Amino acid sequence: MSDWSKVTRPIPVPNEWTKPFWDAAKRGVLELQRCQSCGHFQHPPYATCVQCMGIDLKFEPVRGDGAIYAYTIMYHTGDKRFASAVPYASIVVELDEAPGALLAGNLLEAEYTEAKVGRRVEVIFEPLTNDITLPQFRLAR
Amino acid sequence: MWDNRCKIAVSGVGYSKVSRMADIPLAAHALEAVKGAVADSGLEMSDIDGLATYPELPATGHAEVDGISIVSVNCMMAMLKLPALTWHIQVGTTNIGGAVQQAVNALLAGVCKYAVVWRAMHNPRGTYQNLPGAQAQGATQFTAPYGFGGPGQGMAVAYTRWLERNGQSRDKMATLAVTQRKHTQHNPHAYFYGTPLTREDYFASRMVAHPFCLFDCDIPVQGAVAIVLTAADRARDLKPTPAYIAGYGQRLHFETAGRIGSLSSYMEGGSSSAKLTWERSGFSPKDVDVAQIYDGFSASVIYGLESYGFCKEGEALDFIQDGRIELDGELPLNTFGGSLGTGRIHGLWHIIEGALQASGRAGSRQVKDANVSFVGASAPIVTGTTFIFVREPY
Repeated sequence: MSDWSKVTRPIPVPNEWTKPFWDAAKRGVLELQRCQSCGHFQHPPYATCVQCMGIDLKFEPVRGDGAIYAYTIMYHTGDKRFASAVPYASIVVELDEAPGALLAGNLLEAEYTEAKVGRRVEVIFEPLTNDITLPQFRLAR
Repeated sequence: MWDNRCKIAVSGVGYSKVSRMADIPLAAHALEAVKGAVADSGLEMSDIDGLATYPELPATGHAEVDGISIVSVNCMMAMLKLPALTWHIQVGTTNIGGAVQQAVNALLAGVCKYAVVWRAMHNPRGTYQNLPGAQAQGATQFTAPYGFGGPGQGMAVAYTRWLERNGQSRDKMATLAVTQRKHTQHNPHAYFYGTPLTREDYFASRMVAHPFCLFDCDIPVQGAVAIVLTAADRARDLKPTPAYIAGYGQRLHFETAGRIGSLSSYMEGGSSSAKLTWERSGFSPKDVDVAQIYDGFSASVIYGLESYGFCKEGEALDFIQDGRIELDGELPLNTFGGSLGTGRIHGLWHIIEGALQASGRAGSRQVKDANVSFVGASAPIVTGTTFIFVREPY
């Protein structure tokens, strides 16, 4: 299993579009940007709804269940901050409630070889600092 | 069909030395390539009146220093001091193919007569793709904390989706790497000229970002290539046989920044560009005699072959088997070795080879009776462009 204990992750810097996402994650809730006109969920957050051009966008909670949309197993140790976790799975997840919105994560609490397209996963939360908590994923239980 | 088809042609082409390390400033490589292209055309530098490039350094976490890590139009102007200069541009929404297209447009508009386009690529010291520093700003705040770095991983995630949804194996990609390296042995300018690659080498190589092993990734190098473009009637008076531009296109699709792993962004980027090119030229994939398709990472060729319409979705790894992409195959592919053979110079070398094949100037790698020569320059996802070059204007 990938050893994440010695990894130093870059710390996300929230901005005006993304702050509600990180505020929710700190509370242990996954919230995605949703268009109030057409109901479309999108991620990463954007200035307008990329489906209907709506500008009334709000963050709404979603259940963190979904499937691995795509993944890669990282072997390269060029970035020393992640070298101790190699090989590790970086995954892209599509949530059941937000088709088309793609969230990056790592596959935690499992061998990296468990990463497969279509495999069911659920969100967990990994506190990074006092201010930032990372949404992460593990195999669905 | 496009009224302007075959009105502009590629004439001369030029190359710098391609080296692994930056032992001389990049500007010197760019200058060598530009001088070579002008001389190949039989022109004097003082004849050149148009300049275009796409100067981006695709490595992340490295400083952009003009003349050292990029070569801008300003840098080239300062070096050349062209007395006849009347036009120049740097593009941003497309890679180098967009600079070529802007030069075509400028020549059609009559605002210059002989345009030079160059692409210079720097290989910085240290790791090519660095994650951001301690803080992840902008779109990287959703990727970098998970160890997602450069385009290699970004393209690898789409590749796993393609492989697993189509029930395919990465083992079949060995054919692409080995065949292109074979083609490379006919290209003395290429980084891997003189270095063959076997299937065993491919399977024994270390993984970089699964499903990519070392030989699925083009090697970062320091070097530059350049071309001269001019109007067809002028090109006919110059030394080389012209390669006429029958049509071009650019990707018309963009998904929001920071969105990774989306296969649709590759497919729709490529198909939108190719559709314009087929419509403007009047050709279709079955008419193509030889193809160059961008291969910075091997999987880019899959997305190209499928989105441009050479084969159906999910079939590209089967399509490239059984000798089809050999020099005497049904669709000779990346006949100059591709980026996997030359080193990472982005798409201008693909454009050069497309032009050389159309004008019958490809030497020992010349494809017999090549008239319709297709180029997909740069990854279809965000910066892709497509071209058709022909030997016979129509």
